Amino acid sequence: MPALFAHGIGAGLPTGFEGRIFKRQGSGIEVANAVAQFATFALPEEVGDFGGGAVNLMGNDDIFTVLFEYGPDSLGTRLFAHQGLPRTLATSDFQPHVLRRGLTGQSGTQWFFTEAGRPFTFYAVLGSHARRSILVPRVNRLLEGLAVEPTAAPAASGAPWN
Amino acid sequence: MVALSVILGAVVLLLAVLVAGLLRSHADILKALHDLGAGVGDPVGDAHVHTSGPAQAGAQAVPLTMGPALAADRDSTSAPTVAGVTPTGDALAVAPATAGGLTLLAFLSTGCASCAGFWESFRRPEQLGLPAGTRLVVVTKGPEREIPGEVAALATPGLAVLMSSDAWTDYEVPGSPFFVLVDGTAGRRVGEGVANHISQVAELVRRAEVDTAAFTLDTRPGRDVGIDGPARESANDQELLDAGIRPGDPSLYPTSIEDLYGPPDARMPAARHHVRRAG
Repeated sequence: MPALFAHGIGAGLPTGFEGRIFKRQGSGIEVANAVAQFATFALPEEVGDFGGGAVNLMGNDDIFTVLFEYGPDSLGTRLFAHQGLPRTLATSDFQPHVLRRGLTGQSGTQWFFTEAGRPFTFYAVLGSHARRSILVPRVNRLLEGLAVEPTAAPAASGAPWN
Repeated sequence: MVALSVILGAVVLLLAVLVAGLLRSHADILKALHDLGAGVGDPVGDAHVHTSGPAQAGAQAVPLTMGPALAADRDSTSAPTVAGVTPTGDALAVAPATAGGLTLLAFLSTGCASCAGFWESFRRPEQLGLPAGTRLVVVTKGPEREIPGEVAALATPGLAVLMSSDAWTDYEVPGSPFFVLVDGTAGRRVGEGVANHISQVAELVRRAEVDTAAFTLDTRPGRDVGIDGPARESANDQELLDAGIRPGDPSLYPTSIEDLYGPPDARMPAARHHVRRAG
């Protein structure tokens, strides 16, 4: 199983997945935190943090997911009160209206939580809501292989928009 | 005349000794290969005869291989996922066999002279001549064999560069530069080899694209969604900035329905107007 590790995030990729773990260049008031994107299709070189430029390329059997880290200012807030990365999602967790960009036929899910003392959101998109019974188990296999390590030193304060 | 004959004889004798030495060395090499089971023209049955004798009781026939053996589930057309790090310390994995479309893996080094032309060509992607939609991924050896800073200096922004020695093993790369073309729709390698110029590689990809297009039906939609990707998010950020909303603005963190839509009497002015007229 191919494995990735960077910026305190590790992933064992199930068959058919590719991905990247990166930090964008911080610019001015924006603080760069870790972003991990995984997909079952070719991720373009330039993709928005939450799949802009990628989700419109998805086929019916495709999956796009992102694990997005927020700044330390978010720690302890109600939004990130849940402890731990979700490990098993149900088909009912995916809804067509939970999409940052509503594209016909797709559905998504989004979770906010704190893992290893770091605030995250996990966002996943299915290429076809009708095929969620097939696609959600694949998302769960990906979730099984995700791991987050505590950061060695807190990042600079600031709140990214996304 | 006599002296010349003596010198000539000595030279011939010396050459004869050298030839004999070479023949002896060659014979030793052949014997060693033969003992390994890889003798030239050496049938298996013959090896069995030699290795089963009392004098060869400890010898075993060992297949001669170049580099680590492939995993059992792989063959010369399989295209495993390539995973590694980028020169800037990010992590990257590319699954060319399942991603759809064509992926060109360019195995390059920082030190090889013939690679320099390709690094230079990749600085002008619009002039590469690759068919639209072809994904180009440069693969160097891992950070234990290449200096990330040198790779980063050669890699132009926007070019996918991945450092992984395992990928070189997985794809049995004999040296650099080396190119592998993977058809993601078919899930296999459709071409590989050495090239001296990017035009040769582009021609290979163009031919493969014609073959691929003739026999496949891509079901991915490729929807036109207008401004997209990071540009869309940057545009959104700019809109917020223009409206005076900066990171951390309280309006970005609503805690009640009133924060989103205002007080109840301020909502739905059209409906309120209708009620008043009805009353």
